[in-house]
Amino acid sequence: MRKTTAKPKYTWQILVIIVTVIILGLNAIPTFYGNHNALLVSAVNPTQSLPNTQTLRNVVQQQNINVEQIINSESSSKIVIDGDDDALLAAQTQLKTTLGDDFQVRLGSQSAAPKWLQGMGMSPIKLGLDLSGGVLFVLEVDTNKADQERLGNAKDEALQLIHDNGLRGMSVKLADSQEKINLHFLTHQASQVKTVVNELQQRLPGITYTASDDRDGTLVFSDQSVTTFHHEIMAQALTTLRGRIEELGITEAVTQRQGQNRIRIELPGVKDPEQAKRIIGATASLDFYEMAQSGTVGAKTFTDENGRRLRLAPKPIFTGSNIENATSGRDDMGIALVNLALDGIGGKKMSDFSKDNIGNPMVTIFSEYHKNSADEMVKSSKVISVATIQSQLGNRFSITNLDSPQAASDLALLLRAGSLDAPITIVQQRTIQASLGQENVGNGIMALAIGLGITLVFMGLWYRKLGLIANTSLVLNLVCLLGLMALLPNVVLTLPGIAGLVLTVGMAVDTNVLIFERIKEERKRGRSNFLAIETGYKEAFATILDANVTTMITALILLSIGYGPVKGFAMTLSLGILTSMFTGVFVAHVLTSLVKPQIAVKHKELRS
Amino acid sequence: MSANTLKNETSMQEATNTISQSTGVHSPMAMFSKLRLAGFYLAISLMLLSAIGLGFKGLNLGLDFTGGYMTEFTTSQSIDKEQMQDQLATHLTGDFELNSSGANTQWTIRQADGADHVIDKDWLNNFAAQSGYDISPQDSVYIGSQVGSELIDNGGLALIVAAIAMMIYLTWRFEWRLACGSLMALVHDVLVVLGLFAWLGLPFDLTVLAAVLAIIGYSLNDSIVIGDKLREVMRAKTNMSMSDIVDTAVKSTLTRSLITSGTTLATIGAIWIFGGQPLQGFAIGLFAGVVFGTLSSIAVSATIPQLIGLNPEFYQHRAQELLLNDEP
Repeated sequence: MRKTTAKPKYTWQILVIIVTVIILGLNAIPTFYGNHNALLVSAVNPTQSLPNTQTLRNVVQQQNINVEQIINSESSSKIVIDGDDDALLAAQTQLKTTLGDDFQVRLGSQSAAPKWLQGMGMSPIKLGLDLSGGVLFVLEVDTNKADQERLGNAKDEALQLIHDNGLRGMSVKLADSQEKINLHFLTHQASQVKTVVNELQQRLPGITYTASDDRDGTLVFSDQSVTTFHHEIMAQALTTLRGRIEELGITEAVTQRQGQNRIRIELPGVKDPEQAKRIIGATASLDFYEMAQSGTVGAKTFTDENGRRLRLAPKPIFTGSNIENATSGRDDMGIALVNLALDGIGGKKMSDFSKDNIGNPMVTIFSEYHKNSADEMVKSSKVISVATIQSQLGNRFSITNLDSPQAASDLALLLRAGSLDAPITIVQQRTIQASLGQENVGNGIMALAIGLGITLVFMGLWYRKLGLIANTSLVLNLVCLLGLMALLPNVVLTLPGIAGLVLTVGMAVDTNVLIFERIKEERKRGRSNFLAIETGYKEAFATILDANVTTMITALILLSIGYGPVKGFAMTLSLGILTSMFTGVFVAHVLTSLVKPQIAVKHKELRS
Repeated sequence: MSANTLKNETSMQEATNTISQSTGVHSPMAMFSKLRLAGFYLAISLMLLSAIGLGFKGLNLGLDFTGGYMTEFTTSQSIDKEQMQDQLATHLTGDFELNSSGANTQWTIRQADGADHVIDKDWLNNFAAQSGYDISPQDSVYIGSQVGSELIDNGGLALIVAAIAMMIYLTWRFEWRLACGSLMALVHDVLVVLGLFAWLGLPFDLTVLAAVLAIIGYSLNDSIVIGDKLREVMRAKTNMSMSDIVDTAVKSTLTRSLITSGTTLATIGAIWIFGGQPLQGFAIGLFAGVVFGTLSSIAVSATIPQLIGLNPEFYQHRAQELLLNDEP
């Protein structure tokens, strides 16, 4: 007993509190300043020097837009403007037309907080689309289609092998379900089947063979190989989509995988979903073929615009994935074209091929997925050009004869960003106007202020001195929570997130109430003021922990299954639990010990 | 669900007889005990009513779950809803559902996935020009129908996973009869909120689902506080009847329950009134959840253990065992 009555010193606790509150508090400050709109100007060609600051400023001011600041870095200039999204878009258009094709102008934002705060690497809380306005897409990657395509290629490969080995009577066919390849052979060919399968497995690792009887067998890709393949497709789709978004000039997009085969893209500040939709959802790809030799098996047949039937080699010389850079332009006749630059591998393939095939034609095939009337994805391919190779080509050449300048610039953009092997469809789309976003922010802040106000007033009136302690820890809780949200990457504040914040305020006092009620009870039992406080904090802790653990479990479940609105709510709820445990128990305890409030008890309430 | 609740009610009636025998009419707790039992009956009836509502009317599932298109726009002047409906009908082929709020200046149009004529920016501009209204677009949403049906599965899964996780945590933390009480309170809270949405025909969207899941956490929070207290009283007071013990525990946590519910309701009320249209469903769901959650934590979570035979001896044994273990 004597030990507990000795007054403990709280030096280290106070230090912990001060350090935590200062760090999180500083992180919370930039949020109150918000963001300025900004434009990022960078050169397409890295060796080219950026336009000077004065020029940039003048160009933007032609639109009557005030320039706040221009930040020059090695590869780009950031122009911070004073104006809304409309002004930003006007400035972007103006810069684009003035600077021309050599420069990229992308949209961005810059924290409006004082420089010394920004210098410490502190930035505002990222706002979700419902607060900032913008476009949301959820895309579904059709992995089934990609599987079928892969199996189809495997079949062609097997056919070629059978042909090369001269195995008459052996045949391969895609099963009607499109899920396996049926292999049919003659009874005496069992050993040859083994050779073919072995060779096939070397070319396509992951393919497995099962014999069903002495004349038939099936070829499928193993489950593990299918999983890896899907993983690769998703990774490729993500990279490609990120590339395309960058090409659109949006720097603050959120691109993430959602579930098995979906991709969620949030484009803040985008006004026109149609352009974004056309570019993001496009599945166009380019392949370059040579004509099939007379003996080739599995040759592909295409019909060009004049109705000529072209038999092409089963495998392309190279594909769009070997393209390093593409720009649109016009030829001497004013017809749209795309200039291509190939990467190392593509360049070598092209130069080898063109050296051996001077005078022969090369066919460019443009393929795109689209939905047919039955709502199924179908791949349609069309011959863009049949060009005769005049001389050995290097890694630079052009595709001519495109329909329109728009088609040329879209194709160039898609080729730059990379193509998608699996078709994608938009399964969810949302466009939120920036004005609605601002209204939502205003409503959210209003609700928070009123909720906080009511709680503070009530606690102050009901518990008096203890209430002030509860109020101090509640305010600190909010500061810490905001700071934590700004500090952690991947935390986005949404409207339901603000609701979670308001709810946290209402529920955070529970911790204090539990403790204070306990202290009052202890006082009624006749304990001294000091002992009642100490016991109150100690005894109530188990209950508080229990209560918070259960809420945390729900928050984590919400976090793991929810997307969008649910995720935002779960995020603030779970972080709120952490900070309210810290402020409600730890901070309030230290405060109570420092303030030493007298908890009065009426005499008739005293129990023995 | 309704079969279960019926069963509970019959077992309840048997148990009430034993309670009224054990509590004397002149006991100071009698009045409180009666109120508590009245609350318990109320809770059971609410659950029945909700089950009926869910069974017959069903939930009015929002766009998040059904899929389809939603377009939101505002007009600068207030326009009669029927007039707007007629005017839209002449310009829009196919079915649509029109809703208005904010004194007929805020409009939402819902169309099914696969509608032949989907509203876009050009359409709105065109409509504005032809009707002469000053229209500004606010929000447009498209959700594929399969995304919606997946969400129903995921949402249901989340509810079940949350309930199971809670059950595991509770049985580990509490005696099984206390855990049952908390679980019953939880089922009550969720069921009643869902029932309310079914009866009132309020749209049930993703944010309401989040509210329901938050209610699970909140409901347990309350039950745990009372359960903790109940355990403490059972250890300390050996000579009391079980009914009195429950009353003591509920009474001593009553102030806390009311204050916490009060501040939470105040903040939720602030979201309801000031949070704007997008948070309405969320706020209503949470508000109802907290009100019914407070009722169930007082009337259900501690009454059930009493009805299924929890008695003070159990914890006194436990306390002694713990004491023995604690001594070195």
